[in-house]
Amino acid sequence: MTNGPLIVQSDKTLLLEVDHPDATACRMAIAPFAELERSPEHMHTYRLTPLGLWNARAAGHDAESVVDALLRFSRYPVPHSLLVDVAETMDRYGRLQLLNDPAHGLVLRGLDRAVLVEVAKSKKLAGMLGAQLDADTIAVHGSERGHLKQVLLKLGWPAEDLAGYVDGEAHPIALREDGWHLRSYQREAVEHFTAGGSGVVVLPCGAGKTLVGAAAMADVSATTLILVTNTVAGRQWRRELLARTTLTEDEIGEYSGERKEIRPVTIATYQVLTTRRNGTFPHLNVFDARDWGLIVYDEVHLLPAPMFRFTADLQARRRLGLTATLVREDGKEGDVFSLIGPKRYDAPWKDIESQGWIAPADCTEVRVTLPDRDRLAYAAAEPEEKYKFAATADAKLPVIKALIERHGDEQVLVIGAYLEQLHDIGRFLDEEGVPAPIVHGGTTTKERERLFDAFRAGELRALILSKVGNFSIDLPEAAVAVQVSGTFGSRQEEAQRLGRVLRPKGDGRQAHFYTVVSRDTIDTEYAAHRQRFLAEQGYAYTIVDADDVLTEPPAAG
Amino acid sequence: MSIEFADHLRALSDDTLGALLRLRPDLITPVPTDLTVLAARAQTRVSVARTLDTLDRFTLEILDAVRLTRSPSDGTTSAAAVVAMACAPVGGPEPARVTEALQRLRDRALLYPARPGEDSLRLVATVDEVCSPYLAGLGRPAVELDTAAELQGAVIALVNDPARLRRTLLAAPPAARAVLDRLAEGPPVGTTVNRTEPVTWLLEHHLLVETTEGAVELPRELGLLLRRDAGPLGPLHPLPPAIGAGPRAVTTVDRAGAGQAMTAVRHTEDLLEALGEEPPTVLRGGGMGVLPLRRLAKAAGITEQLAGLLLETAYAAGLLGEVELGSETVFLPAAGYDDWRVAPLAQRWARLAEAWLAMPRQPALAGQRDLKDKPLTVLSPQLERAGTPAARRAVLAALGALVPGTGPDADELLEWLRWQAPRRMRGREELHREALSEAADLGVTGLGALTGYGRELVALTESVPSDEDPLGQRPEAVLPREQTPLVLALAELLPPPVDHVLVQADLTVVVPGPPEPALAAELDLVAEHESGGGASVYRVTAASLRRALDAGYAAPDLHALFALRSKTTVPQALTYLVDDVSRTHGGLRTGSAGAYLRSDDEGLVSAALADRRLSGLQLRRLAPTVLITPFTSGRLLTALRDAGYAPVPEDATGAAVLTKPRARRAAARTPLQAQPDALDAPGLTEPRLLGIVEEIRRGDARARAARRAPDAVRAAAGQPMSSLTAVQAHSHALAVLQQAVRDKAKVWVGYVDAHGANASRLVRPVSIGAGYLRAEDDRTQTLHTFALHRITAAAPAE
Repeated sequence: MTNGPLIVQSDKTLLLEVDHPDATACRMAIAPFAELERSPEHMHTYRLTPLGLWNARAAGHDAESVVDALLRFSRYPVPHSLLVDVAETMDRYGRLQLLNDPAHGLVLRGLDRAVLVEVAKSKKLAGMLGAQLDADTIAVHGSERGHLKQVLLKLGWPAEDLAGYVDGEAHPIALREDGWHLRSYQREAVEHFTAGGSGVVVLPCGAGKTLVGAAAMADVSATTLILVTNTVAGRQWRRELLARTTLTEDEIGEYSGERKEIRPVTIATYQVLTTRRNGTFPHLNVFDARDWGLIVYDEVHLLPAPMFRFTADLQARRRLGLTATLVREDGKEGDVFSLIGPKRYDAPWKDIESQGWIAPADCTEVRVTLPDRDRLAYAAAEPEEKYKFAATADAKLPVIKALIERHGDEQVLVIGAYLEQLHDIGRFLDEEGVPAPIVHGGTTTKERERLFDAFRAGELRALILSKVGNFSIDLPEAAVAVQVSGTFGSRQEEAQRLGRVLRPKGDGRQAHFYTVVSRDTIDTEYAAHRQRFLAEQGYAYTIVDADDVLTEPPAAG
Repeated sequence: MSIEFADHLRALSDDTLGALLRLRPDLITPVPTDLTVLAARAQTRVSVARTLDTLDRFTLEILDAVRLTRSPSDGTTSAAAVVAMACAPVGGPEPARVTEALQRLRDRALLYPARPGEDSLRLVATVDEVCSPYLAGLGRPAVELDTAAELQGAVIALVNDPARLRRTLLAAPPAARAVLDRLAEGPPVGTTVNRTEPVTWLLEHHLLVETTEGAVELPRELGLLLRRDAGPLGPLHPLPPAIGAGPRAVTTVDRAGAGQAMTAVRHTEDLLEALGEEPPTVLRGGGMGVLPLRRLAKAAGITEQLAGLLLETAYAAGLLGEVELGSETVFLPAAGYDDWRVAPLAQRWARLAEAWLAMPRQPALAGQRDLKDKPLTVLSPQLERAGTPAARRAVLAALGALVPGTGPDADELLEWLRWQAPRRMRGREELHREALSEAADLGVTGLGALTGYGRELVALTESVPSDEDPLGQRPEAVLPREQTPLVLALAELLPPPVDHVLVQADLTVVVPGPPEPALAAELDLVAEHESGGGASVYRVTAASLRRALDAGYAAPDLHALFALRSKTTVPQALTYLVDDVSRTHGGLRTGSAGAYLRSDDEGLVSAALADRRLSGLQLRRLAPTVLITPFTSGRLLTALRDAGYAPVPEDATGAAVLTKPRARRAAARTPLQAQPDALDAPGLTEPRLLGIVEEIRRGDARARAARRAPDAVRAAAGQPMSSLTAVQAHSHALAVLQQAVRDKAKVWVGYVDAHGANASRLVRPVSIGAGYLRAEDDRTQTLHTFALHRITAAAPAE
């Protein structure tokens, strides 16, 4: 009996004991085919999925090597049926190929005639396939490349896409590495992306995803369309690109609600693209405005549903998705994989943290006891009002102040979901002598920029953010975040908010992330659900009582 | 002939004869009285067929050679002739192998020396009856084929003239030649539905013979000519087909198998747990319905096919039984299941595997449909197949015969089995294929090869109780269950149970191996099971902790439990959760009480509580203003009033129930009323009166008619009589009845009624026809119909 670090479960999860001497070797061996699902402190959980196994096939791993890795590192006997299942699943990949035929354009070729016949008969593929060219080849309408791949994946016969990508309009872009360098994991991510052609890179917030995007652009050196969540995020991309690459102001265009510029590198927002007028999407022409060589999807976990449809038509172009959490509350991870591309790179948050690229964070949940009056009112509230009532309880106000004071002169972000509550907090803090302006969806872009600049410059100590804080805002010096309310139990929101304080600090200080919740209410339950993703990433939440926070003497830093 | 065979047997040495009996054990059930009986029995079709079934392909091919080389005159052949024929073609088998095959046939007394001291052999005649007439795939000789009048011996003439035969053959068009080549490979018969051109040509040139309408056969002589290169026997197979896959490391195989064995045991447990929670009904025809099976399979997370196999195995292992529950019979885990559940893994698996090997059932049939298009269901009697244990043993034995660690694919193995015993395998490939996949599912094999403990399982079937040990006192039999070689071999491969856990910040608890029973029981209580396999993953939730608190754990117990079991520091989040849950646990209390006593005046409540006269009420203070008692509110009220208090009762809504005191009264009674004289009868109406009269008249008629049936009728009805008398009585009765129809006279009819009882009735026959007598009964005024064959007697009424 060997004493390996890996335990194979019959539900196709793999448990990796982190403290085992062979753990690193084992991780390297299983990473190509198993999806990292959870990485708490002792046992990491990986999952074997058909998608993961097919991706491994696509990257050149065969079933034998997968089985070998499982057997080599497994502590206990591996069920025979699981090994058979792995081999059979991997065998399904590549029986069908999408090729560019010089005479007929895009074609679907079956290396296994029976599979081709089975697939061709499927009703789900009706209308996507054209004429049968010979016994092994069927013409495919060029526009259906994305849909076809999506449906074939669902049918369990993923096609190997060998049709290649259009190069797009060439445009020289280079990184300007003066005084800084791509970090090792960023370089690896770019290499994995380049090798695959299209795909998603998953990196923690604050780990420099923008740079991965910039490096990919430099690699492709072609006109690029960057899709971002909102205008402010777009401006940050622009600033970062100007600073880190050879691109100049004139080469970068903004396509948003305010400006409609098309330049060699164009940054467009999801919002403007999905604006619907008279039942049509008037801004779709941006996709055809130039012969784009690369499309970058920022925060791909937020990709709105209509974007999937547009993306299906863009299969011939290179696509790069960037995200911190591939957790989607709507469960559309599969669509992201089939349309944008498989996950090309993933790194556990704690790994990046231990390398010092993101700030170590200390997560704390502060439980506030509601006064009896509020408890009664909460008990009597309508079920749909309960969360709002509990989340916006006045009892949280002194705790917020105490938390700000606790961290002496660190810069603090207060993040919440309810505007009314945020205004209350603003007023309360003003009275207590801590001025904290509010940035919310209604704040003009100009005003936002002004406030963010002031915060970055250290003129403001505290800033209150509404849901705009969920998205990429670059406030590197913020070291403390206080979360007062959220969008119910959203796990990715929690991760994004933590990301706001994870930028590495100049002096390697620790970041602090506080969640203030009302005890014994639905607020606590949602908080527990929200924390799951981060807990699975290895962030240990400490739970404290509000009284402890209120009574302890303010400490410096 | 039979005498000669008996003489041959008689001349055998005791050892040789013993060896024969060992090879053909069916000869000694029952033990024959003398060698003549034994010889006769050894030549029966059944016995010969049984023996041939055990022979491998090459031996059967040599048997064909023996048949082919027999001299037409006296039916004998010689070893030399057989060897010469078999080894004639280039690349044929070595003569030694042929001799060995001949020896195998002699060992089994299928072949015996015809003349003493000579190389002459004779075949037991029955072999020809049980074997194909097309020996070695060749057709019958032209002499036997050329019997039809219109051929006039043309075929015989052709085959007797080798030169002409060769010329005709060379002249055959390519298509016709292709037909000939195919028939020469064997079997030598074909059918022609629409006579194609090549076949017509061949028939015209007498190269083929039409035996019956639409069936053609290739004459043996021509077949031999066509097999010039391959030899008269066609290609021979002296060696079993090679197994392509090379052997893997035995440990790899064992580990894969053991992993599968663990999975099979766990899936079985999951299935039976799910089954116990919601017992499925036994269908009327036996078996479990498709829907419950689907539900169970889903609960265990496996396919229905596998669920069917595991349920069948569990049933055979006695872990599952049927129980009558109310109006229906349901499946439930059987009494031994709970012991099995807590037994060590290896023993649990051994129990399943042994049952699987022995069960005469074919689970793979479930889900298919029978001849009447009815679905075959799991655990139903229709899945009974006597041949399955033999197929399983054969597959495992075949795997066991290979180099350890060799995992051939199913086709290869079946090909190998087919070589081993072609006659037995015929039409049973599917059964063997299923046995192989079942063995893989249960983990008897790993990566297609037989595991080390699988060999021990096979060994169990080989050590059959012998005569020397009729009481089962063998060493294996007295071994306790946990020390059989099978259990020991498997237990060595399975992970040892662990007694510690890893607790993590995301509130998951990982047991890095199979948990000890005590640990498993604790975790089942305090956490939710999330994933199983080599390790178990549990998640602690508020609900699971509440369950533990309900079961009697207190917060310190839980802290101690995690601290004791966890190898790592218990995360703060878990400690906090335990405290938080235990803080709110029991925040609300419930209980029952007979009545309550409340007052806004705390002093008054205290006074009542302290009052000694009320001590019998067992009052208890719930709050400063509330007391409760286990007694009813009526008793409380009386006692309080007796003690001089002034209580007011409340109803369920809290409103005061005010009552005025009432005088006591007896139960209400109804007053008498004036009634008319009962004997005066003004109430009798005319119709009612007429009805009464009619009733009286009918009663009278009944009384008159209640005469007894004549003796003849009663006698015929009551006594048994010979069939001849019965026939006579019957025809007599018919005559009487026909006369009565004509006379419209009344008759007594004796008959056997529908319940088999004898009865007689006085009726007036109306008609006789179509096997029935219709007759009126005056008493009841109804028309009766009697089946004539039920009438035993009839007599005219006076």
